[in-house]
Amino acid sequence: MFSKPGSGPAVLRKVSQEASKVDPAKRRDFLKKGLAVAGGAVVGVPFASTLSAAENNLPPNLPEWSRSLGAGVITNPYGMPSAFEGEIKRRTVPWLTADRIAAISFTPLAELDGIITPSGLVFERYHAGVPTINPDEYRLMLHGLVENPLIFTIDDLRRFPSTTAINFLECPANGGMEWRAAQMDALQFTHGMISCCEWTGVLLSTLLEEVGVKPEAKWILAEGSDGSHMSRSIPLEKALDDTLIVYAQNGEPLRPEQGYPVRIFNPGWEGNTSVKWLRRLEVGDKPWYHREETSKYTDLLADGRARKFSYVQESNSVVTFPCPEKPLKQKGRYELEGLAWSGSGKIKRVDVSFDGGVNWRQARLKGLVLPKALTRFSLDFTWDGSPALIQSRSVDETGYVQPTFAQLRAARGESSIYHKNAIHTWRLHADGTVTNVQIS
Amino acid sequence: MSRLANRIFVVSLLVAFMSALPAWADSHGKAGQYGIGKAATAEEIAGWDIDIRPDGKGLPPGSGSVEDGEMMYEEKCASCHGSFGEGVGRYPVLSGGEGSLTEPRPEKTVGSYWPYASTLWDYIHRAMPFTQPQSMSDDEVYAITAYVLYLNDLVEDDFVLTAETFTSIEMPNQDGFFLDDRPDTENTTCMEDCKDPASVKILSEPTMVTLAAQEDVAVTEETSSVDDKVYRQACQMCHAAGVAGAPMTGDKAAWAPRLEQGREKLLTGAIEGIGIMPAKGGQKQLSDQEVATALDYMIEQVKQD
Repeated sequence: MFSKPGSGPAVLRKVSQEASKVDPAKRRDFLKKGLAVAGGAVVGVPFASTLSAAENNLPPNLPEWSRSLGAGVITNPYGMPSAFEGEIKRRTVPWLTADRIAAISFTPLAELDGIITPSGLVFERYHAGVPTINPDEYRLMLHGLVENPLIFTIDDLRRFPSTTAINFLECPANGGMEWRAAQMDALQFTHGMISCCEWTGVLLSTLLEEVGVKPEAKWILAEGSDGSHMSRSIPLEKALDDTLIVYAQNGEPLRPEQGYPVRIFNPGWEGNTSVKWLRRLEVGDKPWYHREETSKYTDLLADGRARKFSYVQESNSVVTFPCPEKPLKQKGRYELEGLAWSGSGKIKRVDVSFDGGVNWRQARLKGLVLPKALTRFSLDFTWDGSPALIQSRSVDETGYVQPTFAQLRAARGESSIYHKNAIHTWRLHADGTVTNVQIS
Repeated sequence: MSRLANRIFVVSLLVAFMSALPAWADSHGKAGQYGIGKAATAEEIAGWDIDIRPDGKGLPPGSGSVEDGEMMYEEKCASCHGSFGEGVGRYPVLSGGEGSLTEPRPEKTVGSYWPYASTLWDYIHRAMPFTQPQSMSDDEVYAITAYVLYLNDLVEDDFVLTAETFTSIEMPNQDGFFLDDRPDTENTTCMEDCKDPASVKILSEPTMVTLAAQEDVAVTEETSSVDDKVYRQACQMCHAAGVAGAPMTGDKAAWAPRLEQGREKLLTGAIEGIGIMPAKGGQKQLSDQEVATALDYMIEQVKQD
């Protein structure tokens, strides 16, 4: 009834992918070696098999792995995904940025289930590369309009009462390449500047209490310790609401790519405000208007004016199956899946259209439905081989309805770069392939 | 003290205490209740407190002229931003773009878009030059800031920027920004016959192949007879990615004119620094011999077939 595409003979797929990277002259030899090379080269464990053996692993035969011993414990002291899943990885778009130091990579949304993004697949955005920080040499300074300016070590921060929350992290430029027209050929690139993790740390409000904020305080500057010294002005109301000083992600210390050892995290707000490798918080009475809140991360409108401090990531959604990376391989029953989110709170409902927005069906929300978190939705459907224009439309608990491209462009023009959250369209072709389109 | 005076004293103390705290603090406890953390000294704060505000708060003493800035800009900035601020490759364009904000392809530069000159000083000092952030003196930052303002026709060629003259600068787009007033769209949850099916037309499809081209992007592991340890530690970051005009490892065309200069000259440049590249790539702990090993590795990469 339900067949998940891509789950066919993964073994063959893997070998042919490996082979495609090899010089054509060497390819024949490579294929002869078959799995011994593909498996061995990737995981470094014996995998004595051949292509024909793959068939011998299928019923009614007893598979090879059922008749032998596998690797022992702590073969990989820190475990890695199966070697057969090597294509599930972050990818970048080289032409987007001048180099790979100040650049971005994208989360492979099509390959993920549930709402949690594994730490190694969380999208990356650096302005001066990933710094290497010895946690013993890490300090967080909190000063400015406070009674007692303080410096904290990691151990200090861990002594405060901690808070854990599951929240999405989204770059406000997510989908920014699509403002003028459909441009990217994969879900990973149209929507992959978003991830969702469990974040643990101390509420910034707790630290602000500890230093004693002066009455005239209104803003906080968050500053990173990497080469870019990323800095953003954050209103005190947010800092006293749900802003976290984070040291753990998905149950382990923050990954270096995500700000190890400490970042600030502003749930529901544009990712740029969640400054990584945080070194300093200054309390002040006015915003600082630094580069990343004037030259960048402001939304230019058609009339030449620009919106500033547009922090909230408004509600958005996208269908993750089918999508360009996950075509339909045969007719029949399927479960459409997708992700919806809102920086304003919980997702209330998601509707799905197969005819480009003429008629809609309400999807069901699956698993956890949390505020400011990715929320998974699904809808059963039967594909008869007809072409379709598939869309999803999210509604959040404030009643905000995800806009169409036409509505978004009418309000903002085509040069905003940031905060593109329009209803997205996948074109399902008669052969089951899926492409990115924009429609009227 | 009489009982009355005592009571007045206590009440006035209480009032003083409460007025010193924001309202939210009442329900959350008081400053220092955890007793965690070390007091930050004035000296510690001064070392890290680098931010500048539009009103000039934070600007240190010092000065720099457009004239001084021109030479420094050419040495430290032009390899990415271009000699006239026009930008190289995808590095940011700094000048021009006046009146372009309403055009289909707006050019957002210091002159056409940035609302405050303070942002320029703050950012140059905070993060530039790209390969050596916070390596410049305050006077150098003043001079380069002055020169970038000059490139945007915002000051004359005899201008000298100081904390005092800073307030005379008027940025053309200062009033071009407004506070977030979203939501600015209003969609409905129409479920049936929401539009005419005949009106549904495909407007655009991707013209670029990005996913299928990915394998070309992966960093290739070069094999070499020369030790590449130092290269990987100190050089790869910029030379594998072509940062700030660095000749990319393995790019024969980029290396050809350099190889013509001879190994000795290249080695001197690598050890002492050349253009935007810092001495020993910024890794001062390296010996000259280690730098030579890294250079030999990079030379070998462009000589190999």
